[in-house]
Amino acid sequence: MIYNLLHKELRLAAHPNLFVFILLGVLVIVPAYPYGVVFLFGCLGPYITFMYGRETNDIYYTSLLPVKKADTVKAKCLLMVLSQITQLLISLPFAILRVHILPDGNPVGIEANVAFYGFGLIIYSVFNLILLTQFFKTGYKVGKAFIVASIPILFLIIAMEVIVHFPNYKWLDSTSPDMMLRQVPVLILGIIIYILGMLAAYKISANRFQKVDL
Amino acid sequence: MNILSVKNLSKTYPNFVLDNISFDLPQSKIMGLIGVNGAGKTTTLKSMLNLVNPDSGRIEMFGKTFIENEESCKQEIGVVFGGTYFFNHKKLKSITAVTKRFYKNWDDKAYEKYMKAFSLTEDKRLKELSSGMKVKYMLALALSHKARLLILDEPTSGLDPVSRDDILGLLVNLVKTKDISVLFSTHITSDLEKCADHITYIKDGKLLISASKPEFIKSFDHLKEQKDKGDLTLEEIMIRTERSNYDI
Repeated sequence: MIYNLLHKELRLAAHPNLFVFILLGVLVIVPAYPYGVVFLFGCLGPYITFMYGRETNDIYYTSLLPVKKADTVKAKCLLMVLSQITQLLISLPFAILRVHILPDGNPVGIEANVAFYGFGLIIYSVFNLILLTQFFKTGYKVGKAFIVASIPILFLIIAMEVIVHFPNYKWLDSTSPDMMLRQVPVLILGIIIYILGMLAAYKISANRFQKVDL
Repeated sequence: MNILSVKNLSKTYPNFVLDNISFDLPQSKIMGLIGVNGAGKTTTLKSMLNLVNPDSGRIEMFGKTFIENEESCKQEIGVVFGGTYFFNHKKLKSITAVTKRFYKNWDDKAYEKYMKAFSLTEDKRLKELSSGMKVKYMLALALSHKARLLILDEPTSGLDPVSRDDILGLLVNLVKTKDISVLFSTHITSDLEKCADHITYIKDGKLLISASKPEFIKSFDHLKEQKDKGDLTLEEIMIRTERSNYDI
């Protein structure tokens, strides 16, 4: 069933831009660039897909399939997880490559290092939790949900990019193996927050959507 | 045996109340759900299908409680909401490829047969189909997963008389040959004359009557006027029941 729902999301519900934004994980190879923008694209993709879903009556379609009402929410959660994790995985080889071809680092903001991925998962978790729970209050008010979700993640992205310029936090901006080892707890924290955030987002959204009259 | 049983279905909106709707649809019969625009036909159908949360009521489909057996009941029904179509920009073959995976009883051969019979081409996009063809495509999907009950919300609204007749003829044929039962809402009384075995009439959110067509017509004899010789037509019944007297 999960596979069928994902298949539906990818083949019918996803806006083509979602796939373009997934590929934009490669931006971490750009020499001087605020890599936090990668996460902005990872949030924009699902937002556009939600808008597209409203235009195509996607939620109506899913609700009429032989699935539970909560599965409509599950399908959207799965699509968000798949798109964001795929984007980060696509970016990984380019993050490794840049250490070798661009050894001087990124003068603009944070490096594409272990901490960067940890922060990214936290940013995605906050965005997903707010977007999904706000959207599934109504099943159609996606613009408002996106604005409410965007504000905290913009602050988080700016904070991530700025904090590495403070001397005390320079270790977060390094790609040297010993410093990246020090960054591992940030990644672990990111993974835990992402998993817990998605579980909470699904549970709250499914409960809210149950009460929605389509 | 009743294929569908609706008991005491109620739903309150700020400006509308669907009040205690009850009716039964026997197997292999066509039931028309009639009422004027805004009478509560669509709310009834949506409440039955859990698209809208009813305040109270019990729905039984195929002898099972719908809410407790939502997935298995939905495996055996086909739903068409006239005017609401999905993924307009997608090709029919993409919509079919996704939809068929959800149904245990999907039959590819039957699907091909219906697509051919309805002159539908898989390479067309949904938006390229006429309204009548869209209804037929939705019916082809429903019939290909061997739906035993079709729930259609105004499937003939907005169609020309020929397409309407075509769809209604198809429904009659399906009931005869495939043992399918049909519940369809409409405000077009001639649809009911052509194919309905039973009629359920909703007015201002309340059930007026649910009965077989002859009984239904008889129950409105009190609306007859001196000039009326035979039975009232369904159109006369509806107009005389709903007529407004404006004092302006």
